[in-house]
Amino acid sequence: MSLRVVEARSETLAVVRGVLRPPLSSVDRGAMVTVWLDGELGYCASADLSARGLQDAADRAVAWALAARGRGLGLASAPWRAPELGARYRGPDDEPLPAREALIDLLRDEAVAMALDPRIVHSSAVLGATEVVQGLWIDGELVADQRFRFVEPNLEVTACDGGRSQTRTLGGQYNGFSQQGGRAVLGVSGLIGGGARIAGQALELLYAPNCPAGARDLLLSPDQMMLQIHESIGHPLELDRILGDERNFAGTSFVTPDMFGSYRYGSPLLDVSFDPGVPGEVASYAVDDDGAVAHPVRLIEKGVLKRALGGELSQLRARALGWPIGGVAAARASGWHRPPIDRMANLNLAPGDATMQSMVAAVERGIWMQTNASWSIDDARDKFQFGCEWGRLIEDGELTTVVRNPNYRGRSATFWRSLAMVGDPATMQVLGTPFCGKGEPGQIARVGHASPACLFRAIDVFGGES
Amino acid sequence: MTDGNPAAPVRRDPRFAARFDAMSAFVSSSAGPGEILFASLRGERADYLRLNGARVRQAGSVERAVVSLRVVDAQRQARSVRTLGEDAAIGAVLAEAHAELRAVLARLPADPYACWQPMPSFSERVRGGPAADPAAIIDTIAAAADGDDLVGLYAGGPVVRGLASSLGHRHYHETVSSSFDFSLHLEGGRALKDTWAAEQWDAQSLHAAIAAARERADVLRRPSRRLAPGDYRVLLSPQAVADLVALLGWGGFSERAHRSAQSPLSRAQRGLEAFDAGLSVAEDADALGVPRFQDDGFERPARVPLIDAGRPAQRLVSPRSAREFDATCNGADDDERPLAACVAPGRLPAADALRALDTGIAISNVWYLNYSDRDACRATGMTRFATLWVENGHPVAPIEPMRFDDSLYRTLGSQLLGLTDVARRFPETATWDGREPGGACAPSALVGALRFTL
Repeated sequence: MSLRVVEARSETLAVVRGVLRPPLSSVDRGAMVTVWLDGELGYCASADLSARGLQDAADRAVAWALAARGRGLGLASAPWRAPELGARYRGPDDEPLPAREALIDLLRDEAVAMALDPRIVHSSAVLGATEVVQGLWIDGELVADQRFRFVEPNLEVTACDGGRSQTRTLGGQYNGFSQQGGRAVLGVSGLIGGGARIAGQALELLYAPNCPAGARDLLLSPDQMMLQIHESIGHPLELDRILGDERNFAGTSFVTPDMFGSYRYGSPLLDVSFDPGVPGEVASYAVDDDGAVAHPVRLIEKGVLKRALGGELSQLRARALGWPIGGVAAARASGWHRPPIDRMANLNLAPGDATMQSMVAAVERGIWMQTNASWSIDDARDKFQFGCEWGRLIEDGELTTVVRNPNYRGRSATFWRSLAMVGDPATMQVLGTPFCGKGEPGQIARVGHASPACLFRAIDVFGGES
Repeated sequence: MTDGNPAAPVRRDPRFAARFDAMSAFVSSSAGPGEILFASLRGERADYLRLNGARVRQAGSVERAVVSLRVVDAQRQARSVRTLGEDAAIGAVLAEAHAELRAVLARLPADPYACWQPMPSFSERVRGGPAADPAAIIDTIAAAADGDDLVGLYAGGPVVRGLASSLGHRHYHETVSSSFDFSLHLEGGRALKDTWAAEQWDAQSLHAAIAAARERADVLRRPSRRLAPGDYRVLLSPQAVADLVALLGWGGFSERAHRSAQSPLSRAQRGLEAFDAGLSVAEDADALGVPRFQDDGFERPARVPLIDAGRPAQRLVSPRSAREFDATCNGADDDERPLAACVAPGRLPAADALRALDTGIAISNVWYLNYSDRDACRATGMTRFATLWVENGHPVAPIEPMRFDDSLYRTLGSQLLGLTDVARRFPETATWDGREPGGACAPSALVGALRFTL
């Protein structure tokens, strides 16, 4: 039997169009009891943490396991593992966030900075802070004690003139600068001082020409790379998708079990790691929710696919089907009321040696795009179309015109093979979002993505309606 | 109002009812001088059975009840959401939240957009019968799968929404529903998707729904076709139409999005674009069992027209937007999204829809919709599940997933040739934060040309 107890305390502050919205706090505490009985699993989640409440939950979990007997996974052993020495995790030990009043002042300052022009018709400055305390007991023994502090900032501004509007954000529409830590995140994320910058860019975009259409080299900043990595590497490598669990909802994968070890996912410049140990990255942890100890693991090495994003249970199931696919400690639940499923954690693209200047100089006809605005990909995570908030043409090795509504599309199966240059550590950013959705019932989890800027050759680029 | 099976009067779930009563008692007795308290209850006891390959992948139950407590004092306001644990501790949990909110409030400025309904109101609506036990659910679905590769999620049990205030508001809404959102999978990644839903467990109708899906999946066994990008005549299923309208609901019907230049329908609002005159959309709370109250005590009308004969009608206005933009509140939630968007049926007989398509693509499901140009209401997405190539009104072969990218002013406007005369109801199947009331209602749509790009 495993018992996972989670307590999450959060507060969200937001200044929208110059006015402080009512502060929102929450305390969410509960437990998930999971039993393995006669080869099957059953679970029950309850917020009643009294002895009777937990016993009732255990009884219900047993009822489910018994009802599934002979008609479920037929597991020879429970999927969870007790770490030999137990596991303890504490996030970055930096200075806590300032007091609420100081944070409100900070958000107000950014709101004022964004309202720099009458054409700015909307602005929001938002800061979410969440502390999570999580314990995992296996067969009555505490095996993992983990504490997290998440900071989730964002800025958004919309400029409008002549019936045209343009929106610019700090980290996309999904809080892309989410990290673990405290006060330091405010500076690293660019929240402080970011308001004036994005408002100025929104105004500039209002009068920018539409993004041209055609094949161009594509230089992506980290705040678009995170989405590209997430959708067209992260999700396709989730082993539960490959095993078919998500076929009714989040989808399947163009990656098949026979590809591991030999499939050329990208150019030799592509190195991608599952790394739950990066200090401050949003999905760093010591053990997953089935007790597996988390280590950094290279999933794609010099462009070749090596391992899957699959936890212990998915690896067991794959082996039973004759697929000895290596996995990682990826079984995570979005909260006490959901069972673990395979998740990305931190999925990071290793930096290369190209400076930003050298990548621009290497482009004859191209475009540089920043900050995701639109995302759509097929259920096998192959055919994608992504849009960005900001684009700038590159012509004969020089940055030239800023363009609005830049979009591009392609196929995961070939896109990464067009990776031509990988930015050096100076172009790298550690990003993350609290909004990765999958699972039935639905789960929204935090995932991290660190990436340098990257250059791709001959991508199908286009704009909005003329 | 209390609804239910007339032969067996439906009673409130005793545990959720007790929590609602405790919450109500707290707000009645705890407001200090000048203070106003609003408390909203969200609760569910859910059985979730997840299947892959007709075998149990994850099976379990979740019981969760959260109260959102809002304190208003001299136009200053703050809110706290607390998960309720032991029944005996509810008063203490709310008292702790109340004390913390008071401390927060003391250092806040007045909120110029604070808004609530000062007149108390009352309602009670309880629907549905008992939930099934785990073994019965698994027995029924396993038997109905009959060896097929069945994947999906069964969800059942009570879903509760409640509101109480120190001003005297008392609203309680409970439904006990069952749903099975499922897909049947064949070789080569082909699949057909459907959703069964009922107000009470009904093994026979669930079995019949799976059997009917199996019959419809036969055409998927034929060799698939790969189409080149270009414009194609299409027949959008009711589910696909509902999903496109749901995308419009992402800011398109919101007063706040309209006033802050973020609405995808801005050109229609300015009279520069319009949908086809045959397209009418309304937020129809009663049709989909949406609670007729919202968190600030305002009543939600039975019906709010959103698109009338192709042109924008009313927008969804939350109490906060009403204050900020000097508009009239129509009971919308704070996010101003429709909870029960219903597309009115048209005149094309549903039985003739494939014949009217003649040659083209019958799209059963669309997937991962997003705006590629929000100002222009241009949307991209993928075809998914049983999307078929049709010739002379007859399905010929499944097609491989295709990406489309086109303006909804074209798809539901200049290229809309007709809507079928039958609208299908879809219960809300999202479970991100638990099961939700509501859903959508839509007919099929015949479209002259939809632009496929990849």
